[in-house]
Amino acid sequence: MRRETQNILLILLGGALLKISFSGLYLRYVQKGFLPLLVIAGVVMVGLAGFSIYRDVCGARVPSHSHSSRSVWLMLLPVLAVFLISPPALGVDVVNTSSDTNRTTSRGGFSALPSDQVVPLSLTEFVTRTAWDDSGTLDGRTVRLTGFLVRQGDHTYVARLAISCCAADARPLKVHLTGLQAGFGDGQWVEVTGKAVPKSATKENSYIPTFTVENAVPVAVPAEQYES
Amino acid sequence: MTITGEIRGRRPTGPRFRITSLEVLCGILVLALIFQSSLVRLLDVRELRTGSTVFVAICVQALPFLVVGVLISGAIAAFVPPSLLRRLLPSSSALAVPVAGVAGVALPGCECASVPVARRLMQQGVAPAVALTFLLAAPAVNPIVLVATAVAFNDTPLMVVARFVGSLLTAVVMGWLWARFGKLEWIAARALERLPSHEGTSRWAVFLESARHDLVDAGGFLVLGGLFAAAFKVLVPVSWMNTLSGQVVLGVLVMGLLAVVLALCSEADAFVAVSFSSLPLLPRLVFLVVGPAVDVKLIAMQAGAFGRSFALRFAPLTFVVAVLCAVVTGVVLL
Repeated sequence: MRRETQNILLILLGGALLKISFSGLYLRYVQKGFLPLLVIAGVVMVGLAGFSIYRDVCGARVPSHSHSSRSVWLMLLPVLAVFLISPPALGVDVVNTSSDTNRTTSRGGFSALPSDQVVPLSLTEFVTRTAWDDSGTLDGRTVRLTGFLVRQGDHTYVARLAISCCAADARPLKVHLTGLQAGFGDGQWVEVTGKAVPKSATKENSYIPTFTVENAVPVAVPAEQYES
Repeated sequence: MTITGEIRGRRPTGPRFRITSLEVLCGILVLALIFQSSLVRLLDVRELRTGSTVFVAICVQALPFLVVGVLISGAIAAFVPPSLLRRLLPSSSALAVPVAGVAGVALPGCECASVPVARRLMQQGVAPAVALTFLLAAPAVNPIVLVATAVAFNDTPLMVVARFVGSLLTAVVMGWLWARFGKLEWIAARALERLPSHEGTSRWAVFLESARHDLVDAGGFLVLGGLFAAAFKVLVPVSWMNTLSGQVVLGVLVMGLLAVVLALCSEADAFVAVSFSSLPLLPRLVFLVVGPAVDVKLIAMQAGAFGRSFALRFAPLTFVVAVLCAVVTGVVLL
């Protein structure tokens, strides 16, 4: 492959990294802490290619046919994927196909929830507390959960994916809903307010707690769709 | 192909129009733009949707680490003379191998960063056994990975120790095995080609050119590994893992293979390992020790950097050694 082509591929790939960084689309693929790394990597890639082009132009060197390796072409794939397809964040499909739901780390020492009337909780926190907290910090408390709806048979769940590095390690979290009014579609993002049914998350049901919905409102898809 | 070859080699240029990679690239881009909407429609199937997201995610997550790796590799090429490396490392391979393993603590990245660095070390005259030990140790024993493991396994802190010991043991055993039985001809000649002394070009130019060269060299293989990992992620149902809970031997093997095909970043695999809560700790330790040492992404990158005949020998042996080291460590410590 010609040197110029390699440089153009590098600029495209670096540009793809910068594009998803500045447009916020990177949150579909990696955890938010990655932003500075992605920007630096994108700038370095474009810079290395730019330096090489500058040398070729100023040094008036005739670039040689250098590489026999065809693997370099593969670098075009992520570029095309980002610029043309822009794959969506993982969601309902992953929750439906995986069975390793609600595998949270057991822990103890849960602090009391804030004394507000409605406590917003992440699904990770809610699921962890229903599974492992025996001190009853959730009993009688009204909490608000945000996630997308998943319908499986007659059951409806509010679900979310948690990632620790990138979307390849996404772990589904879900909470069984009762008393949800009709009219919500599969995959709809909602804010549900209500109470946890005490002792509903057991080892037998894979620690999927039941949640009595008092109120549910549809919300827009958040920029950060994964919990981390 | 050496870097100077790239710079100095001259291609006879005729006035005739020739189709080169540049024209092909332009053609592909134009076609992709024209057929964008049909491409999007074609890929709108559940498996492909999930697969393409996972594929982009793996590439996006790994590229920054690859960039760190090629910058370090370029810096070694430009600023670290081979004589300095020879002075720093013990002269006998048997002693230098453990030193290289412990030196892995200093490269905080995942496995993609260590491939170009290890190859550069070989080119600078470091014994292959030593460089390979560094290659295996660096992604597994660095502080970031250990902290991530500690956070994930917060109720079993011994897991961190076991992971450190198991991974270091794997790297050192592999280094010694290579020093004893390894043959230089298994490694592709281009990987070992010494860089010519850089007369005329400034050190900074060498640094930037080497980094660019390594990036182009490894980038394609990283993408290839990402493709495999995304395909496996969609095709391999992890659900039947739950049925393994009682069988330790089968669990060890399956978790080892799963680590190979999932190709998770070594900074994230602990969080996945902890989620297999129906399994005992030992298979999960195997998952953590095998993952950074051998996975599909790494095999693709090693085949690219050191040649196919190297990867075909190195990867299976590393798998066996890593599983054994993890089991021994796990039995002693957990």
